[in-house]
Amino acid sequence: MSGLGDVLQGAAQIAGAMGVTLKQLTKKPVTVEYPEEPIAVFPRYRGRHMLRKYDSGMERCIGCCLCEAACPTGAIFVDAAENDPANPHSPGERYAKTYEVNLLRCVFCGDCEEACPVEAIVLTQAIPMPEQNRRSFILTKEQLLEAPDSNIAIRPEA
Amino acid sequence: MPDLVTITIDDVEYQVPNGMLLTDAAKLADIDIPVFCSHPKLDPLGACRMCLVEQDVRGRWMIVTACTIRVAEGLKFRYASEAAVQAREDTLEFILINHPLDCPICDKGGECPLQDQTLKHGPGASEFQEIKTHKEKRYPISDLIMLDQERCIVCWRCIRYLEEWEDKPQLGLFNRGGETVIDFFPEQPVDAKTSGNIIDLCPVGALTNRVSRFRYRPWELKRTKSICTHCSQGCNVRLDARIHQLRRVVASENMAVNDEWICDKGRFMHAFVDAPERLTTPMIRDHKGGELREAGWDEALALTAQRLAFTADVQGPAAVGAIGSAKLSNEAAYLLQKLMRGLVGSNNVDHRGGAAVLADPRGLSNMRDVEQADVIVLAGVDPAEEQPVLATFIRRAVRRRGAKLVILHPRKIEDTRYPGAYASYTPGEETALFDSLSKALLKEKVVQERAAKLPGYAELADWLHSAAVGDPAAADAARLVLNAKRPLVLYGPAVVSGRNAAANRSSLMNFALLAGCAERTYYLAPEANSVGVRDMGLLPASLPGHALVGDLPARERLERLWGAKLPSDAGLACDEMLSAAAAGKLRALYLVGSDPASQGPAGMAALQKVDFLVVQDLFLTESAKLADVVLPAVSWAETDGSFTNLERRVQRAPKALANPHSQAAADWLIFTELAKVWPAVSGEAKTEASRKSKRKIGDAPRLWSYANAQAVLDEISRAVSMYDKLTWAALGDEGKQWPWELPKAEAGRPAGGALPTAPRRLVIPERRSASQVGADFPYTLATGRVLFDGGTLLRQTEVAGKVAAPVAVGINPADAAREKLAEGQMATVSSASGQLTLAIHLDEAVRPGTLWIPYSLPGAPVETLLTSASDGAGVRVRIASQKAG
Ligand code: SF4
Ligand code: SF4
Ligand code: SF4
Ligand code: SF4
Ligand code: FES
Repeated sequence: MSGLGDVLQGAAQIAGAMGVTLKQLTKKPVTVEYPEEPIAVFPRYRGRHMLRKYDSGMERCIGCCLCEAACPTGAIFVDAAENDPANPHSPGERYAKTYEVNLLRCVFCGDCEEACPVEAIVLTQAIPMPEQNRRSFILTKEQLLEAPDSNIAIRPEA
Repeated sequence: MPDLVTITIDDVEYQVPNGMLLTDAAKLADIDIPVFCSHPKLDPLGACRMCLVEQDVRGRWMIVTACTIRVAEGLKFRYASEAAVQAREDTLEFILINHPLDCPICDKGGECPLQDQTLKHGPGASEFQEIKTHKEKRYPISDLIMLDQERCIVCWRCIRYLEEWEDKPQLGLFNRGGETVIDFFPEQPVDAKTSGNIIDLCPVGALTNRVSRFRYRPWELKRTKSICTHCSQGCNVRLDARIHQLRRVVASENMAVNDEWICDKGRFMHAFVDAPERLTTPMIRDHKGGELREAGWDEALALTAQRLAFTADVQGPAAVGAIGSAKLSNEAAYLLQKLMRGLVGSNNVDHRGGAAVLADPRGLSNMRDVEQADVIVLAGVDPAEEQPVLATFIRRAVRRRGAKLVILHPRKIEDTRYPGAYASYTPGEETALFDSLSKALLKEKVVQERAAKLPGYAELADWLHSAAVGDPAAADAARLVLNAKRPLVLYGPAVVSGRNAAANRSSLMNFALLAGCAERTYYLAPEANSVGVRDMGLLPASLPGHALVGDLPARERLERLWGAKLPSDAGLACDEMLSAAAAGKLRALYLVGSDPASQGPAGMAALQKVDFLVVQDLFLTESAKLADVVLPAVSWAETDGSFTNLERRVQRAPKALANPHSQAAADWLIFTELAKVWPAVSGEAKTEASRKSKRKIGDAPRLWSYANAQAVLDEISRAVSMYDKLTWAALGDEGKQWPWELPKAEAGRPAGGALPTAPRRLVIPERRSASQVGADFPYTLATGRVLFDGGTLLRQTEVAGKVAAPVAVGINPADAAREKLAEGQMATVSSASGQLTLAIHLDEAVRPGTLWIPYSLPGAPVETLLTSASDGAGVRVRIASQKAG
């Protein structure tokens, strides 16, 4: 075995590896500069929650706590109260006075969505943003009632 | 043993007690026939058709309602047959036709019999396509209860409860067919005092609790079996908590105490537990006239211990006093008096309605006895307002057994609507009526013969003979009691308090002895633990276990247990402490759950005079506002405690919740921690310098180390003879009545000694001076407890304001006419000691010559008019319309 053979073999390997690198230089990168650029998700992707409203602007959620009961991780907290008949939040007598989702606990299983009798809580395709502290991962009712602002593109389903 | 009969269900033979309802008999055979209208506490009706089964009627199978059929020998039924199953399925489908799809927002959802039975017995699918009928969904039947007429399945349970237990038919069915609705009668919303029980009874979510509505789902509640502490009945309840808040109170069954019922005060008035005004941190006032500031427990406890010990050392132990409350648990009351007697060395310890009331420790023998009585005498007590669940038992006796009520009361109370006799008296002159009753009895030959054997008979007979008494109403009343087979005499604290307490009691007992029912004459204690705090020795003259403070052996026994020397001379009663404070003799005062400042200017002035005032309470009360140290306590729901009800039943109230944001502590814990920092050697605190020096901790902590409230109860079971072996575990879920039988294994000797017996002697009642009569004060004040007053605890519940007694003075229309007073007009009522401004309320029930003002009206404390709280009613007053401007 000669030393030269080893050197040549080594050089060939390096050239091969560098070839991969060089080839990628000309290609479009996989990294998405999210959130500046949109991220592509499948239509049934389960992302951040949202509490839907009716077209009239009334909240759909009636504070029934069924989502809370269905959640396997205890991520949801609902505290209900009686609607003021003159100025109701939701149809009927009951509404959610407090509604919170703890995104650090949530496993995005969608059981809450499944349990809701009025299709109020839904998982959107939005991707939750990083936060500086744990408290900020608990979404309040006000945050949940807003459609999440998330730069996503829906991929066609394969 | 009832005789057994053989019945056949689905071809299997069962032996069941004759005459039992088929639904109950089937349960013995493990067949759970579904029901809606049938309820074990209500008479069978057969309204809902849920319980359909087949019965063999002379060879033909017929569909019948199981809840109305009483079993008899040889009856044959089919439960699982196709026809029976189909019939029940059809019934359910029919009920559901117009039942709204409200489950997600319905308070009952999750514990709803209709949901459960639809799942178990329902058809699974509905063929009904049409639109459901619409009715009122938000229909208040009172300030406390909301009705959803759409959800009602017309089972009649609410109607029947109000009729059968309250004897107030206030709900009815209106319209027909699918349009049938439950409604109250025009202008008469439901006002029965135990109306909330229909919420528990309703098998669907048609009746809901307006205080708790929408504040819980059944599955997320933490449920704790406890007792209610609003009155002396001690009803069993369940406290339902969520996120550290008391969200709902429901009744819990205890056949010996409350059956399955609670009153509306217990059910609805619990907001005080979670009130934002609750004290959450200790507070200290650095110098008189300064502001209260928040402080830590260490600082507040050290200051309290040092100042109390210092005052005791310098001014003598008699310069320190403590006023507790009859709402304190046994543990809290026991430790408070142990602290005062053992550490301070003073017998100045009492509670409102303590030494001032000549209470009988026996109390009612057995709550359900009431239902068996044939004549019930109510003397100076109004159970409908004071113990509403006991009142339902009394009405039961009237309705079911035809019992007669003999009512002796200054006001024509509600239950005078029943057959019997009513005699009124002027408060303070009770003996005039009771003596008249005795006199009327003495006319009867049987009484003369029987009573001749009683000691003191001849003297009393002579005395009564010459006494100028003879109330015309007395003859009827006396005859009723005399002819009764199972008479029962119940009297309230009003009769045995005030100047003539002793005379009133002898006079009443004379009557009872002559009528032959002294052993069935019982005192009805008012507050949740009126009986218990007395047993615990929260009294100036008696030690735990009712031994007098002068009783050397009793004292020595406790001295060994507590490791402290105990004072032997009786201390000051509640009022005496306040007057001593006002006179500058009592220098340090410890208030635990009592609020003398809210009871008029005299109490306020007394508290302002003391050098050092500690207030331990739930709220910043009027008294707490004057305090040097405020210690935040917790309510009965937030700590373990035991309470003794009016029939001497000791019951547990375990901790149900705790506010994690609050530093408030349980009374027993505060006393324990206070003892731990108590300056060790008497005399050490004498100089200012030594007070500041490092404290030495003495013996006290060793004898004051309780791991928990249950450990305090352990010590009580050793200190109080009647509570022998009554540990937390021994009390169990039902509570124990003392004296009680020890388990067989422990020699079968009755624990807790014997019950004190009723007096056997006739005594001539010796009345003290008559109250100041005069043209200046032409009326006599009558006062008493009403269910919904304006007390601190009630005020925290929003609806309490709507149901509370109006801030008014009741006056007989004849008197009002003479005084030219009209309904609603503002008037001033004044006595020698103070005055109040209230609205006029014309009331036929008020005895002419008296004015009726209940206790604890918001902003109008009737105590202002009393010379001292122990006076009770019977104070002379005058009334005048308020001058304009
Ligand atoms: S998605 Fe699943 S884990 Fe997340 S909140 Fe809903 S039920 Fe809970
Ligand atoms: S989101 Fe839906 S399931 Fe959750 S409380 Fe509201 S209505 Fe009920
Ligand atoms: S009463 Fe029962 S079945 Fe009816 S809406 Fe309420 S939970 Fe549902
Ligand atoms: S309101 Fe409730 S208890 Fe009353 S009849 Fe209707 S379903 Fe029965
Ligand atoms: S339960 Fe038998 S008819 Fe209602």
